[in-house]
Amino acid sequence: MLLLYFKISPDGKAKIQLQLVLHTGESTTFHFANESSALKDRDATKELLQQLLPKFKKKANKELEEKNRMLQEDPVLFQLYKDLVVSQVISAEEFWANRLGGINNTDPAVVNNKQEVGISGAFLADIRPQTDGCNGLRYNLTADIIESIFRTYPAVKQKYSENVPHNLTEKEFWTRFFQSHYFHRDRINTGTQDIFSECAKQDEKGLKSLVIQGVKNPLVDLLSLEDKTLDEGYGICTTLPSTSNANKTVKESSNSAIIKRFNHHSAMVLAAGSRKGEAPTDQASETSSTDGNSRDSDFFQPPVKKVKLQEAIEYEDLQRENRPKTVALNLKKSDRYAHGPVPLQSQHYTTSQDIINSVNYIRHEMMNYKPNLTEVLSSTAASSAIAALSPGGVLMQAGAQQAINQMVPTEVQGELKHLYVAAGELLRHFWSCFPVNTPFLEEKVMKMKSNLERFQVTKLCPFQEKIQRQYLSTNLTGHLEEMLQTAYSKFHIWQTRRMMRKT
Amino acid sequence: MKLNIEGLLVYFPYDYIYPEQYSYMLELKRTLDAKGHGVLEMPSGTGKTISLLSLIVAYQRAFPLDVTKLIYCSRTVPEIEKVVEELRKLMEFYAKETGERNNFLALALSSRKNLCIHPEVSSLRFGKEVDGKCHSLTASYIRAQRHVNPNQPVCRFYEEFDAVGRQVPLPAGIYNLDDLKDFGRRKGWCPYYLARYAILHANIVVYSYHYLLDPKIADLVSKELAKKSVVVFDEAHNIDNVCIDSMSVNITRRTLDRCQNNVDTLQNTIQKIKETDAAKLREEYRRLVEGLKEANVARETDIYLSNPVLPDEILKEAVPGTIRTAEHFVGFLRRFLEYLKSRLRVHHVVQESAPQFLKDIFDKVCIDRKPLRFCAERLQSLLRTLEIADIADFSAVTLISNFATLVSTYSQGFTIIIEPFEDRTPTIANPVLHFSCMDPSIAIKPVFQRFQSVIITSGTLSPLDIYPRILDFRPVTMASFTMTLARTCLCPLIVGRGNDQVALSSKFETREDFAVIRNYGNLLLEMSAVVPDGIVAFFTSYVYMENIVASWYEQGILENIQRNKLIFIETQDAAETSMALEKYQEACENGRGAILLSVARGKVSEGIDFVHHFGRAVIMFGVPYVYTQSRILKARLEYLRDQFQIRENDFLTFDAMRHAAQCVGRAIRGKTDYGLMIFADKRYARADKRGKLPRWIQEHINDGSLNLTVDETVQLSKHFLRQMAQPFRQEDQLGLSLLTLEQLESEEMLQKITQIAHQT
Repeated sequence: MLLLYFKISPDGKAKIQLQLVLHTGESTTFHFANESSALKDRDATKELLQQLLPKFKKKANKELEEKNRMLQEDPVLFQLYKDLVVSQVISAEEFWANRLGGINNTDPAVVNNKQEVGISGAFLADIRPQTDGCNGLRYNLTADIIESIFRTYPAVKQKYSENVPHNLTEKEFWTRFFQSHYFHRDRINTGTQDIFSECAKQDEKGLKSLVIQGVKNPLVDLLSLEDKTLDEGYGICTTLPSTSNANKTVKESSNSAIIKRFNHHSAMVLAAGSRKGEAPTDQASETSSTDGNSRDSDFFQPPVKKVKLQEAIEYEDLQRENRPKTVALNLKKSDRYAHGPVPLQSQHYTTSQDIINSVNYIRHEMMNYKPNLTEVLSSTAASSAIAALSPGGVLMQAGAQQAINQMVPTEVQGELKHLYVAAGELLRHFWSCFPVNTPFLEEKVMKMKSNLERFQVTKLCPFQEKIQRQYLSTNLTGHLEEMLQTAYSKFHIWQTRRMMRKT
Repeated sequence: MKLNIEGLLVYFPYDYIYPEQYSYMLELKRTLDAKGHGVLEMPSGTGKTISLLSLIVAYQRAFPLDVTKLIYCSRTVPEIEKVVEELRKLMEFYAKETGERNNFLALALSSRKNLCIHPEVSSLRFGKEVDGKCHSLTASYIRAQRHVNPNQPVCRFYEEFDAVGRQVPLPAGIYNLDDLKDFGRRKGWCPYYLARYAILHANIVVYSYHYLLDPKIADLVSKELAKKSVVVFDEAHNIDNVCIDSMSVNITRRTLDRCQNNVDTLQNTIQKIKETDAAKLREEYRRLVEGLKEANVARETDIYLSNPVLPDEILKEAVPGTIRTAEHFVGFLRRFLEYLKSRLRVHHVVQESAPQFLKDIFDKVCIDRKPLRFCAERLQSLLRTLEIADIADFSAVTLISNFATLVSTYSQGFTIIIEPFEDRTPTIANPVLHFSCMDPSIAIKPVFQRFQSVIITSGTLSPLDIYPRILDFRPVTMASFTMTLARTCLCPLIVGRGNDQVALSSKFETREDFAVIRNYGNLLLEMSAVVPDGIVAFFTSYVYMENIVASWYEQGILENIQRNKLIFIETQDAAETSMALEKYQEACENGRGAILLSVARGKVSEGIDFVHHFGRAVIMFGVPYVYTQSRILKARLEYLRDQFQIRENDFLTFDAMRHAAQCVGRAIRGKTDYGLMIFADKRYARADKRGKLPRWIQEHINDGSLNLTVDETVQLSKHFLRQMAQPFRQEDQLGLSLLTLEQLESEEMLQKITQIAHQT
């Protein structure tokens, strides 16, 4: 049962009610009848729901999305859904009941087989504001951009799930976001209370921990580049270290804020792209964990260093290539290559030596071949055998039958296919009930039986009539009917047996 | 392969060789034969290091008495480690070819921070902390105290090394920093002291410039290195600045305050010692009367590398009587300190020479030149006598005493500038006394004098003749090598105009010009759409980059660039920049592509290579002139003009162009690599600028690409990149830019090779 949203009755009303609206569209209304504490109870329930709703909303949406995705990606399933659910042969829940679970449990790889899409570095550029003519700005936000913002700045996402929808509406949230100095980093913090100042702090922290963590590649570590720095006081230093924040102009510090921001932004975009399957963990935990084992980098350093040094001193062209000589791929007909490999008839590969051997063998055999002329067929017998085996001959009667795809128009074929799929699905449900050993299954088998009957009446019969009208051979549906009959008879056997047991 | 370089058998650990490598070895051999110094420029990424090592190792084996040691100086720790790895490769090749392990000992030496294995000390983050902590555990008197007080903590690694390590020489082999640490851990010896000890008998030493050029360190580490050594300065395009840095001193009010504390501490310690152990001070006094004779003898008998801070003359004399007793010396320091304080109380800028300064100090506080000259030496002696545990605490007073010695020793080549405030913030008093060296030859002179061959080499040393002039030495060979190419894998383009014909330049007058900034942005935007993987852009200074980035942000250019690539920007914080760099490489690696905005003369431009896909294009926004308004620079320019007849503009352009060449050269490594080099300033087209680029870049600039618009640049780049993206195989190079031994030995090729070296 997935809750979509809930309503409460206005405060002044005599009846104190709470209505839950589910995703399926059904709704349930609770009436708080306890005179004394009705209002309090309702409010408590409301509070609880309010807290729980955002948590489950994600899950609910995810499930809906999942179903949606499955339907979109699988046209056969979609057709089946249309055939069975939309035409109300079975209910949606029955349809999904073992489908969704099955797939989720058995094959998670299939669900995640979609390749992760990286984030455009310029997603913030795509929301360039446009003036709307009356002193306002319009920002264009799409779901993609929001997704990008969330993935790049987990802190914003956290804020979002904390505040929307119970503190702010979605629109208000984004308006505040665009107004915040967090978005406009070149504006110096004016000290206004905005919900994003915390994000900025968190980013700062993340950046700092990234910096402290240091770099793995010793060749780019600028800190340990210099071997012996001059002692303080020696050397001709042009910029003295006394340039503290105090004597920096506002402009300068805003400039360096921009630079910091770009570095951070690029790093986050890069990180969001490489955080593959795993859900984007919130940054705080990620950095704290990396903080904890920053000493580990020392431990891992030597191999990285060795490899990088070797890479750096290698001259590939001065070395003779030691690899076995390979022949460059030279395509004469590139279209053949583009069409992909042709499946080989047998999995058995032979080496060239084998081929040469066998050719030799055959040649040898051929040379020694002596026809045994006393045991051959007479020419009449041979020709009659050939005639019998030719199309139209005695032995080839069956082959004269034309294939179904030449007899029946394509749309009928398509329809037939759908019917087969739908019937197959229903029958699968039906047969999966056996052996019937629980009351639930009993109920289900009854229902499935009626489903099958309904299918026969609403789908199969109209189709039969249709092909009759088109003067096509009626035994097209023969097999389908046969399958249904088998199911019915099984059902009857089961039912009679059950009756007998009961009596 | 085995090569014959004018009769010398050289093992070269590869199957093929670049013609320029052969040519380079030829020139190097001639330099060594002549026992002279050389300046050699060879394009980055043509295997300079391995050529150097192959030849010198072969030379050492052939003439073990003529060349006993190779001292290889590089700039950064990764560079040092790379050199050792290449050496390892060479030695493995030797072992394979000759079938015997030779008894070569080669090792890298670095600061304690990179070598320490003491669990507590090595966990410290900064080099200075490590040095200080190490000193507090290993100083001689600390260890002496341990005999009395066994609870005194000492470093067990050092103790072990001191007890056993000195007797057993380090077994032959190649030791990188990590190998030394491993060896140290196995034996329980301190790798740092082991390495410092082992360099005396090692055949090859690889370490950083400072160990030879900085007198404070050279005196400790490199003093006793053999005279018959070959010294190589790799990546030497900035060697003059390293020299100058090591001899310059800055004194701020904070330094003086800390110095005051130091002097007070000294005073108290002396008082205490006097009460407990007066004999110690008397002993010191006696020693000082003896004078510095020992050092003098050592230097005359040619055992020591001379120290420019400790000039020859003072070695012959005894410490003057006025500062011989400890109290007198402390009093002397106090007076000197007070004088410096009074000098820092100025309200306007003062610039004077060393003699002027000496005259003034004599007039004001009656300090003579002579005791000043002994100041550094006398302080060292005092610190030793007083058994000061933490030398790092006394850095301020050491600085002041070094200053005193330098200012009284050199009447030429230095200038004193006292600035009461920073130029940008005239309201905030922040007085600084700059004692700045203007003559790089002072610091490097002992090196040229002592060692028989000094090789200065880099990918960018043009124009070659300027280095002998500013470093004041006479090379026997000077050569610049080109890069033979089977395909033109570098594409230098000079962008002079925007699409709207606005002249592009970073010169001061148009620096804030909106149109120029917009066109620069446009260039980057367009390039970001056509160049695959990584683009590196360099700006002339950090402030300039900040301003441009801000206005690009306002104009929305950066956001458009983000559609194509991620943007990373160098900041003034090294740790932050390292992070950005790594992310940049990650973005190039995973195919997203990225842009790195960086600063010429910054850490990135000096130490990081952008090979292959990490840098398919380098854009140089503007000409990276040094900040010309600085008084120190002005003084230096004046000095160069008066002493070396180098005109100011020539030097400034030379300096700007070597940095520009450094920046763009970062993108090319080897002949299989390729990259665009975009010079976005119309001034690059002028002959005086262009002519100062290295020959291997210059010769690929054709007249058609001198003043391109942005659109034209994009078209040319597209064409270039499309060509470069075609497969490039070894066969394509063979015989042209890559030679087998047979090809190398052909008469015709040898003819060609002689043309590769461009003598000046």
